Amino acid sequence: MEDQMEMKEGSKRSAPMEDGIDTIQGSKRTASAPLQWSQWQLLDSILPTGGFAHSFGLEAAIQSCIISDPEGLRTYLVHMLENTGSLLLPFVHSATVCPNLETWKNLDRRLDATLTNEVSRKASISQGSALMRVAAAVYTEIPTLKTMRDALIASRDACFHHALVFGLICGLLGMDTDTSQRAYMFITMRDAISAATRLNLIGPLGAAVLQHQVSVVAETILIKWMNCPVVDACQTAPLLDTVQGCHSYLFSRMFCS
Amino acid sequence: METGVVVVEKVGGKSEVTRCFSKYPLKFIIPRKVGPSTTDAVWIYSLTYGGGIVSGDSISCEFTIRDGCTAVLTTQASTKVYKSLGSKCSEQFMEARVGSDALFAVIPDPVTCFSTARYSQKQVFRLASDSNLVIVDWITSGRHERGEKWDFELYKSTNHIISDDDQPFFLDTVLLEREGIASMVEHMWNYQVIAMVILWGPKLRHIQSQVQEDVRRMMSEQLHMPSGGLSRHAKSNSDPNSRRYFAKPTFIASCSVFGPKGSGVVVRIAAMTTESVYKFLQHELAGMEPLLGVTPYC
Repeated sequence: MEDQMEMKEGSKRSAPMEDGIDTIQGSKRTASAPLQWSQWQLLDSILPTGGFAHSFGLEAAIQSCIISDPEGLRTYLVHMLENTGSLLLPFVHSATVCPNLETWKNLDRRLDATLTNEVSRKASISQGSALMRVAAAVYTEIPTLKTMRDALIASRDACFHHALVFGLICGLLGMDTDTSQRAYMFITMRDAISAATRLNLIGPLGAAVLQHQVSVVAETILIKWMNCPVVDACQTAPLLDTVQGCHSYLFSRMFCS
Repeated sequence: METGVVVVEKVGGKSEVTRCFSKYPLKFIIPRKVGPSTTDAVWIYSLTYGGGIVSGDSISCEFTIRDGCTAVLTTQASTKVYKSLGSKCSEQFMEARVGSDALFAVIPDPVTCFSTARYSQKQVFRLASDSNLVIVDWITSGRHERGEKWDFELYKSTNHIISDDDQPFFLDTVLLEREGIASMVEHMWNYQVIAMVILWGPKLRHIQSQVQEDVRRMMSEQLHMPSGGLSRHAKSNSDPNSRRYFAKPTFIASCSVFGPKGSGVVVRIAAMTTESVYKFLQHELAGMEPLLGVTPYC
């Protein structure tokens, strides 16, 4: 993610006459540069959104022996990311490009009916609500976040699904929709791999190597599903959905989902 | 243009088919005596000429189940989707309106896509606040005995459940395609059947609680913690005695509640054999016999 942004920054530097570039004491910077601090913070794992309480079905997959070796973990990750791409990216995209309250509420209702798996639906609601709370408290320079959150809470029927909250914040932080969707894939993979290390499936160094390798596949998945309308959102890994649904049957568990 | 229309309404206090139209390649058979005369249910068998769906077929039908009626839509055998010619996709579209206190049970045999088949189906159900609905939607990997496993080009199945004032309750689409990032066979981890059962409405409350309880019990027995992480897990896997203990379950199911006030329950199933799913459906839907006249899938 950071590489991606630096590349963009870099490409702008090579075109110094472009709009939005000021010259300050000989160094050049884009007008949007200060926003990068906010954008990076949104993607930082230190942001307290509770993402680390979720394993994206990994814990259930281990206990049902769907994953029994590190190769199985890699395959699982790819399938999970494919499902994220086909099912959630359309919602991230829509929320990024249209930060309008009414549209957002309709999308939220639609996503609630689309997440038919109770385990992942609850995980999406808890992470989304936490992210919205954190963002409204952190990004005080964007008052829309707080006013939208207050209005949604007052309306009493908002679920605060994670993909939509994430897309909304990305849009308000000036991220373009391609970057916002890529960022969503990034944080999903990051949280799943982090869960895998805590489940003792892989060591921290191996995890970093895996993350880098899978990012290549994740980019292919992103390109395939980027900018899809929400009516085309679909599940591509029904088996994983079945397995993840078993999470609540686990006798002992570390994660919420 | 519709290829089929069925209307079920109360005539003299009993559910009756008052309109039935179908044209090639679709045909409806409505036998008079499926269950005992004491039960009030209409059974509709949907047939296609040639026992399946040919490349490029487009079937579109409309069902109206009026207030208080009970109707069952089923098949006589699995729906075969034959090899596709070129890039032609076969399609089935169904729209159903289910009235107040009515029950519509869509309980077909599975869809079996032959190698290279392309198939897309969409079912939209519009419900009143106290309608009742059962949907079984399932697919097998193909003609295994011919070595065809998840060998088709495309399978897409959409099920939407919407209130009569357009509120979405359940929007689900499963898409399986050969051109995915990972291959379809890999996606299925050696499972041969993917099934979904939806139970909605007050008349099915007891079936919902039974299936939730049964699935919880069955899965709790199947799931266990590998002690000491994967490395040890992998080692014990090489020991033939413990391998059986650590094998993947041949049947995985999970239940989720959905919709306002938790009116709906969806069961998702992945299984290694078609028979095991038939057995599950038979057992779990047996409680519908008083409503339908006979036990589904018997």
